[in-house]
Amino acid sequence: MTAVRAPAASRPVPAGRGPLRAAAQLLRLELRHNAMLWMLPVAIGLFWFTTYRKAMAMPPLWYPRAATLHGGTLLAFAFPVAGAAAWMGSRDARRRTTDLVTTTAQPRWVHLLVTWTATTCWAIVGYLGCVAILYGVTARQASWGGPLWWPVAVGAASLSALSAAGLAAGTLAPSRFTAPLVAVGAFFALALSTQPIQGSQSYWQISPVVSGPWDDGFDPGVATFYRYLPDLSIAQVMFLAGLTIAILGILALPNGRSGRWLRRPATVITTAGLLAAGTAVALAGTGKLDAHGMIAIPALHDAANDRPLRYTPVCSRTAIPVCLNPAYTSYLPATAAALTPVLNEIAGLPGAPARISQAAATYRQDAGNSISVGMAGPSLSGTPPVFRMLLPFQLPGPTMTTSEFAAAVRSTAGVDIVADVIGDGPGATPAQRAVAAALRTSAGLPEEVLRSAPTRQRPNGAIVPLPAPVRSAARRFAALPASARHTWLVRHLAALRAGRITLAQLP
Amino acid sequence: MTADTARGVPTAATPGRKARTAWPSRAGVRLLRLHAASRRVPTAIAAIAACAIGLRIALLGHWDTYGALQLPLVFEAGAGAAVAITTASPIGEPERVTGRWLPFLRLATALALTAAAAGALVAAGIGAHLAGGTLDVLRNVAGVTGIGLLCAAALGGGLAWAGPAGYLVVGAYALYTQWHHPALTTPWLWPARPPHDLGAAICAALVLATGIAVITIRGARDPIGE
Repeated sequence: MTAVRAPAASRPVPAGRGPLRAAAQLLRLELRHNAMLWMLPVAIGLFWFTTYRKAMAMPPLWYPRAATLHGGTLLAFAFPVAGAAAWMGSRDARRRTTDLVTTTAQPRWVHLLVTWTATTCWAIVGYLGCVAILYGVTARQASWGGPLWWPVAVGAASLSALSAAGLAAGTLAPSRFTAPLVAVGAFFALALSTQPIQGSQSYWQISPVVSGPWDDGFDPGVATFYRYLPDLSIAQVMFLAGLTIAILGILALPNGRSGRWLRRPATVITTAGLLAAGTAVALAGTGKLDAHGMIAIPALHDAANDRPLRYTPVCSRTAIPVCLNPAYTSYLPATAAALTPVLNEIAGLPGAPARISQAAATYRQDAGNSISVGMAGPSLSGTPPVFRMLLPFQLPGPTMTTSEFAAAVRSTAGVDIVADVIGDGPGATPAQRAVAAALRTSAGLPEEVLRSAPTRQRPNGAIVPLPAPVRSAARRFAALPASARHTWLVRHLAALRAGRITLAQLP
Repeated sequence: MTADTARGVPTAATPGRKARTAWPSRAGVRLLRLHAASRRVPTAIAAIAACAIGLRIALLGHWDTYGALQLPLVFEAGAGAAVAITTASPIGEPERVTGRWLPFLRLATALALTAAAAGALVAAGIGAHLAGGTLDVLRNVAGVTGIGLLCAAALGGGLAWAGPAGYLVVGAYALYTQWHHPALTTPWLWPARPPHDLGAAICAALVLATGIAVITIRGARDPIGE
């Protein structure tokens, strides 16, 4: 090839499209040579190891999986993105081309913006790929609901901010030690930024790894009966966008990185970014745990999100139907099977519930980060009466196997149903206690198995031993044939509940 | 210039007997100093000291159990990355060809910096509540540094930090699973194992030994111009 054949210089470029085309070519070059591209396998590997496996071990519910995706993916991507951006930022110093680049037609700030764009693009492409995989699998498994996009938006905004911070560090302090410092520092800042959170009114909730009340875990009961509240996510996106803008503005401030004409707009941009970030932090500090288990920020709150979601429950074909929110369809067989013996005992009795229905949990902030979870209102109410219950995993506690789940349903809801129908409670007569004990025994819930599970009647989980006469009457009543027991209860349940039956009158 | 001629130069240039006996120590010290300067060892020592000071300051704060366990790992990874980065050579191929003492210099640098990192972080924990204690720090620093050295051999000294930083995420997740079952118990994830766990200590030591051996023999893969 000779120099005469080189075609580049003579091609005319339309006046208006020149800068855009140049920027596009620069971006294409940056995309091809960006270190983030080579960091993507590392980030995706970390996502698989720390987030995907954990999310797949969770029930197929959108909120727990979205919350896992939110925090886990961000931590998996933090060091590759921040490190790669710092590596790219220090590239000119490493290759000793800073002066060469500074003297080109474009201000150096524009070059840095293009580098940032390319790094962020690759990071977000990888991130969205991970989101697509996790949400795609969840969509196939989940029986109800849809993907939560606000946590994804927070993740994308976080990657932009991490990329800007890394690039700024690499540009302002170019050294072979900058990239690792920024990478480890980014992980440190994100992973441990949740440590100072105390309660739901903490400014530290602005940390992008927080998706709800801290230390509450990935509560499967949240965002199924009520909408996911985007309040905190909005504040986080505002904070991260402000931070990104401020950092990118700072890059234009020093001499030599941009033309002098850029410094004034850069100062305005930086100030605006810092103001936005500061406002977002202040807003996060006004957050409060709402009754549905999410952080509500009054200034960002939409009252429409407080209305319960409409759904058609899924019900079992038991003697008394057991109805759950469709998001929990996979738990219906185990729940119905666990309650069937109890439901067979009480079906058809006067005052027995016409339906067993899953209720929404209510949340209350306690001291520090502890949260109490319960159910508002009486368990048995309405005409015809409906028994409302919480599934065991709506309450705080360890993950359960199916058999543990069934045992927990029997020893909580099963016991409560019997107690509500018979009137067994703190002021119950000996006859009521005896009949309730007999029905529990007949339903496969003898006193011995009711050891530790707290119920509404036994909030502390303690079982008061029955006096000998009550125990004897209970044994006698339980020994009756099921039909005789049922017939007697149909006739005498009203009197028994009113306290007009004595132990001696029990068959 | 070949390695043989390079070896011959200093001897030929020293005329007297006294000068000949003084040469090895003075030249050796100079060689060490130049090697350390070319590898940014003083900056690495400053980075290690910064990690130790950072750990000490962080230990003054109040951390929950999980945070307290995760905290030292962050600084251990930082120190390990600093050691691994010193493997990057600014000279490249010419140094490999002519540097007869290069493997020994690499070995000495890696060992000395690893010892300095472990010592500084252990010292930072004295008198404070350092979760896991001294044994934990020694094991984790050794293992993470080994990963960094292996990464330097594979990716190049400049990008050697990717290994320790990646392992930091994996190790922190392994610690997390001790609270949120099923727990990861493989000894290759040594940060999540108790300080006296022999299997974890052996794994960390193996990784360090392999890393040091590879770096001593081959050095870091350094692209020229970086």
